[in-house]
Amino acid sequence: MKDVLYFAPQKMSEALKLLATHKKKITILAGGTDLVPKMNHHVLKPDILLYIGGLGLDYIKKKNGKLVIGAATPWSKLVTNSLIAHKAAALQKAAQTSSCVAIKSAATIGGNLGSASPAADLATPLLVMDGQLRLASARKKRLVALKDFFKGPGETVLKPDELIVEILVPLLKGKSVFLKAGRRKALTLSVVNVAVRLEMAGKTCKDVRIALGSMAPTPIRCYQAERLLQGKVIDQELIKRGAAEAVAESDPMDDGRATAWYRIKAGTALVCRALEQAAGMQA
Amino acid sequence: MKYALSFTLNGFPVDVLVKPTETLLDVLREHLGVKSPKRGCNGGDCGACTVLLNGEPVRSCITIALTAAGKAVTTVEGLAKGEALHPLQKAFHEHHATQCGFCTPGMIMAAKALLDSNPNPKREEVREALAGNLCRCTGYVKIVAAVMTAAEEIASAKA
Repeated sequence: MKDVLYFAPQKMSEALKLLATHKKKITILAGGTDLVPKMNHHVLKPDILLYIGGLGLDYIKKKNGKLVIGAATPWSKLVTNSLIAHKAAALQKAAQTSSCVAIKSAATIGGNLGSASPAADLATPLLVMDGQLRLASARKKRLVALKDFFKGPGETVLKPDELIVEILVPLLKGKSVFLKAGRRKALTLSVVNVAVRLEMAGKTCKDVRIALGSMAPTPIRCYQAERLLQGKVIDQELIKRGAAEAVAESDPMDDGRATAWYRIKAGTALVCRALEQAAGMQA
Repeated sequence: MKYALSFTLNGFPVDVLVKPTETLLDVLREHLGVKSPKRGCNGGDCGACTVLLNGEPVRSCITIALTAAGKAVTTVEGLAKGEALHPLQKAFHEHHATQCGFCTPGMIMAAKALLDSNPNPKREEVREALAGNLCRCTGYVKIVAAVMTAAEEIASAKA
């Protein structure tokens, strides 16, 4: 059996130096809720574990008109933090309805995005809130929009020497809504999840974002559907067309949780419901 | 390669040598002989391994042991005061909220975390706090009832 190395740096510069030196050999460990099951079941055998829990990346603050969330902030804080509750309701709802208490105390926001599961529950709310990731390496720092971050299941634009440092959420207008269908209420992966953000001017849609999870190889934005709704008077008929368009942009598959057929049906219904809620047409 | 790990277990300092791939559950059960946390699914799904880490419930089977360095770990072994059972232990016993007992330590630790932060929970809050703990023998009626009773007993002891 190979010898696994473990590093738990206390300084960002040390962590980035280790990443620059060992690159692909490093597996980043935060809460471990996605990683360690894979290790236990021998699906993943790391050479080097880099624990980032000592880097002080556990914070939620407001800065320059944006919410700034440290990458190692646990889900439990997303549930209880008042800034999140007031400024990012859909993100709070996603954290609340997912998983269970003993997972949320460990699982981190950066881990959920970095793992790049097509069903990642925090991805869709952050997509509709125009979320960005601050990435750092020993070479440089960069900002990447979340909509450009995912490449495929488990694949992102993150380079082997890079670390997700924090997540930025602009404080935009409009109401955001998150809805999820799972096989049961708690501790289950999404069969489909939906987030929308809708800014209204009277009865007209001023700005809109729609995102779908577990409906394609990555969480996706539904640009065509957004264009369809933009600038129009929102009514039931338009919402139906918007939802159909959104789901038409997805590429769902059959898996152990649900069939593609079911995902299309449930996804369409959830987009309708989310748009209705965001437009104030339904409690 | 093994690394030195120090943490507090049920109030007592412990030092062990562990591999980076070993989990907190491995260390508790195999190194320290603490057998209340159970290895069920070994993947974070069943909750039988739940312990408290700095007062918060975690799945010890998917917690890398070295990340517990310097922290306080609490298991069922740390609940009783001498011969006097913790109100949760007493209530689980009195309600017969156990059948095979395998899920019980995880249930009790998840319930302890709830009562520590919310001493007067509603039934629905208890169900939510225990949603990540699976019992395959029976339903959850007696388990929820035991937690409600324990909450009452803790409240009346304080009054």
